[in-house]
Amino acid sequence: MPTITLRDAQKSYGTNAANAVSNLDLEIGDGEFMCLLGPSGCGKTTTLRMIAGLENLSDGEIRIGERVVDSVRQGVFVPPEKREMGLVFQSYALWPHLTIEHNTDFGLRLRKVPKAEREAQVERVMRALDIEKYRHRYPSQLSGGQQQRVALARMLAVNPGILLLDEPLSNLDARLRLEMRAELKRIHREFNTTIVFVTHDQWEAMTLATKIAVMNEGSLQQLGTPNEIYDLPANRFVAEFVGSPPINILGLNGPDGSGLAGAARQYLARWHSGPEGIGSLGIRPEALHLARSDEIPEGSFSGPVEVTGILPTGGSWILELAGEGDPLFMTMHEAPEIDLGTKAHFWAKPEALHVFDTKGQRSTAFDRNVRRSTPTQ
Amino acid sequence: MVFSGKGTRPQGRRRARVSPETQGWPDMRPLSSPTRDVPFAGERGAIAPSPPTTFQRLRYRLKISLREPTTVIGIVTALLFAYLIVVPIVSMLTDAVHVQFGDERRIGRPFGELTLYYLNRAFLAPISTALFWTPLLNTLSVAFGAILLSFLVGAPLAWLVSRTDMFGRKWFATALIVPYMLPAWTFALAWTTLFKNRTVGGQPGWIEALGFTPPDWLAYGRVPITVVLALHYTPFIILLFGTALRRFDSQLEDSARILGARQYQVAWRIILPLMRPALLSAMVLIFAKCLGEFGVPYVLGLPVKFEVLSTSLFRSISSRQSGVAAVLAGAIMLIGIITLLIDARLVKEARRFVTVGSKGTMNRLTRLGRMRILATLFAATVFMLSVGLPLLTLFLSTVMEVPGRFALDNFTLNYWIGRDLDSVALRTGILLSPDLWSAAWNTLWIVGLASITSGLLGLLVGYVTVRTPFRPLATFLRQVTFLPYLVPGIAFATAYLSLFAVQRGPVPALYGTSAILMLALMADQMPYASRAGVSAMMQLGKDPEEAAQVAGAGWFRRMLSIVIPIQKGSLVTGILLPFISGIKGLSLFVVLAVPSTDVLTTFSMRLVDYHYTQAANAVVLIVAGIAYAGTLAAQKLTRTNIAEGLGG
Repeated sequence: MPTITLRDAQKSYGTNAANAVSNLDLEIGDGEFMCLLGPSGCGKTTTLRMIAGLENLSDGEIRIGERVVDSVRQGVFVPPEKREMGLVFQSYALWPHLTIEHNTDFGLRLRKVPKAEREAQVERVMRALDIEKYRHRYPSQLSGGQQQRVALARMLAVNPGILLLDEPLSNLDARLRLEMRAELKRIHREFNTTIVFVTHDQWEAMTLATKIAVMNEGSLQQLGTPNEIYDLPANRFVAEFVGSPPINILGLNGPDGSGLAGAARQYLARWHSGPEGIGSLGIRPEALHLARSDEIPEGSFSGPVEVTGILPTGGSWILELAGEGDPLFMTMHEAPEIDLGTKAHFWAKPEALHVFDTKGQRSTAFDRNVRRSTPTQ
Repeated sequence: MVFSGKGTRPQGRRRARVSPETQGWPDMRPLSSPTRDVPFAGERGAIAPSPPTTFQRLRYRLKISLREPTTVIGIVTALLFAYLIVVPIVSMLTDAVHVQFGDERRIGRPFGELTLYYLNRAFLAPISTALFWTPLLNTLSVAFGAILLSFLVGAPLAWLVSRTDMFGRKWFATALIVPYMLPAWTFALAWTTLFKNRTVGGQPGWIEALGFTPPDWLAYGRVPITVVLALHYTPFIILLFGTALRRFDSQLEDSARILGARQYQVAWRIILPLMRPALLSAMVLIFAKCLGEFGVPYVLGLPVKFEVLSTSLFRSISSRQSGVAAVLAGAIMLIGIITLLIDARLVKEARRFVTVGSKGTMNRLTRLGRMRILATLFAATVFMLSVGLPLLTLFLSTVMEVPGRFALDNFTLNYWIGRDLDSVALRTGILLSPDLWSAAWNTLWIVGLASITSGLLGLLVGYVTVRTPFRPLATFLRQVTFLPYLVPGIAFATAYLSLFAVQRGPVPALYGTSAILMLALMADQMPYASRAGVSAMMQLGKDPEEAAQVAGAGWFRRMLSIVIPIQKGSLVTGILLPFISGIKGLSLFVVLAVPSTDVLTTFSMRLVDYHYTQAANAVVLIVAGIAYAGTLAAQKLTRTNIAEGLGG
């Protein structure tokens, strides 16, 4: 299976409008399950449609394998029908006037596959997606989850090397969504396709993807495995976008030296050559711990807090802690035997801290220094 | 102090945390840092940092635009509509300020020179009173009278039909709309059949035959025109106001009631203010319709020389005053445009009131209690007066030898199927007259062909609008096809006359042929056709077609297997609804048709002119029957409400 390469891809609507996608460099390797993740309007769907050829470029180039399929400078544009991909739309876009069977065999008929072979292939795909009992029904007679399966089957029938999915699970209820996620993972293995998947749901991205490309305002923020994205967010946007409940961010730009921010600045000065350049500090809710002041592990970042809220979320708990000025949220996975109004100390290990400079980029200097002075386990 | 999660990480952590040490700090790249490592750093030199040149960009855009026929089709249709819609109107407006053929001596200038003569004649000269100002005042008074009357009758009916437990509510909801399905001059003819007096010749009216002579003011002119138009347009109020009322969320009422408002306070302070835009919009639309109405003032106004703008325009055309006709048509067009701009504003305002509760909408019916029977009687009376009485009168008039004499030997089927009748021209019953069948045939194929063409073109406009990568083309197509909507039919027909009356370049003179009727009707129907096409394509969206594209289908394949089959239903509606409105249309044809190209409506007008009352009434009944049956069939076929065909 070929790789998909986007080079400096740009898309703008109208001459004065901001770029929907700007200077996007992305390589999607063979067999990868790539998630394009970002808030709505970040350009992820546009990117997907550019790969499919449904959206043309304003500048840049797209290649599939060695073949240039889209290039403004070379004046090349291969239309979607010649790109040999599969695309599942958010709306499924099943053809309402065709039965499930004919929806599924449409692509095979186009390719003039002999009847026997076509029927065998349709049979195989429909069985794989468990929709063979609906073969003579029309799309409007199926539920959302079943329609979703048909939309997938329709694309898988032609055995595309590349399968593009545009928020395909967003119209399903929670349970179906979980089932379909497992289904997608199975399809990825079974059909051995490269999958590019667009979603705004970080859970979906984390659970499915082998690689995630986080996008915002038309540009790529970070490309990495789910764990990299979560553990080492490249900038403040990624840190804040990924994670639920969201990461705690302490703004350290302000002048005041008191409270939590002051404590943080003082603490970070130890790992960093100077407090200048540090814009903010991020701590994930599960990296926070509560303890008495004499139980705080040495070298960790800590401060006094009061428990101001306990929110059970079923199986885990979110605690709201009021520091000096800034509220912090922490998650616990065991019932907190603690009362509202309890005064305690929070603490977090230095390697669990995410330090961002004034431009919001991750401070690699901080990470390096922490790594050096932490004893190897 | 003991915390359960104290000091240690909980054991059952959901996500294995990757320790930086063991991972060896994988390639995490803060993007703006100088060490950012680009996936194809080696290849980057191949791409120049400067934007692509204009040539490159144009070549690319051209390649994309011409790859599929969409843009080409769009350009061709845009040119076609420019020629069929814009050029006639422009030609007519130029006529208004140029010396027309035959007027050289009167104006004292050679043919084709610029002149203000016609403008002066229509607006300033002494004759302008007769040509423009009096007809304008008459038009305004008739239109406002009709609006007031239809509001007084329609608003209560709308409420009764949509929000109360009146008897036969569902039945009335359809029955009260019937007057709108019939041609307006059905009522005008019924009125003359009843109230005609000695002012005009031919057979006497029923009232006259019974021994009373109706005064002129009751028989002709302002009063009957107003009443007839009001009867015809009351369904408008019932439909538009009724829809708004039905969508009105009862929770808004309930909130007021809970706060202590009485029922009349709720009606006056809550419902009415929120309904105001819908009501005003209905009224403005009625005004626009009255402005172009020709048949009713022609039948009822002519005997007493009561002129409205459309009849004055018609008189100028028939007396070959093409310059003045152009000015009058331009004036009607201008008033029409202003009216619809006002309507557009009101619709915009109406959007501000979001009274449509999506899920919470509850439509609770008001119990009328003792008023229930009274309300039902009221609705029944209105139905009798606006449907029963006119149709019955018309029908009886066609089977009675002497009007108004209800004796058994007076009844005859001669006017329908008789032979060797004692009349000058029409010597057989109407069903045996070849003229009727030729008119019927003309109607069928002219209106049919125009409707099919405009329906297909409408879908094409919708397709291009949704799909073309070249946005200005889509905008132009939408706007140009909307243009005829602003121009009342009779003014549009004048424009056609102006362009196609003489040979221009390769296009021969079309006046007197069926082609001009067909082209004019087709162009006149484009606003509805293209609106239907655009909304059908919008509703379908790009997705199903793009899915086929990704699956590997080329343009023609997608058209044949996906787009057209899916849009079959809306194509049928898009053809059927214009067909129905075309069959009962008069004002467009009356200017353009000649006896050999008569359609049913103009044929019946000609019969009215010659005082063949029974025959004229019979033809109108046939038209009404076709229109009614067609509307019902369209409804059945598409399972839609008639309200959607309102525009036609």
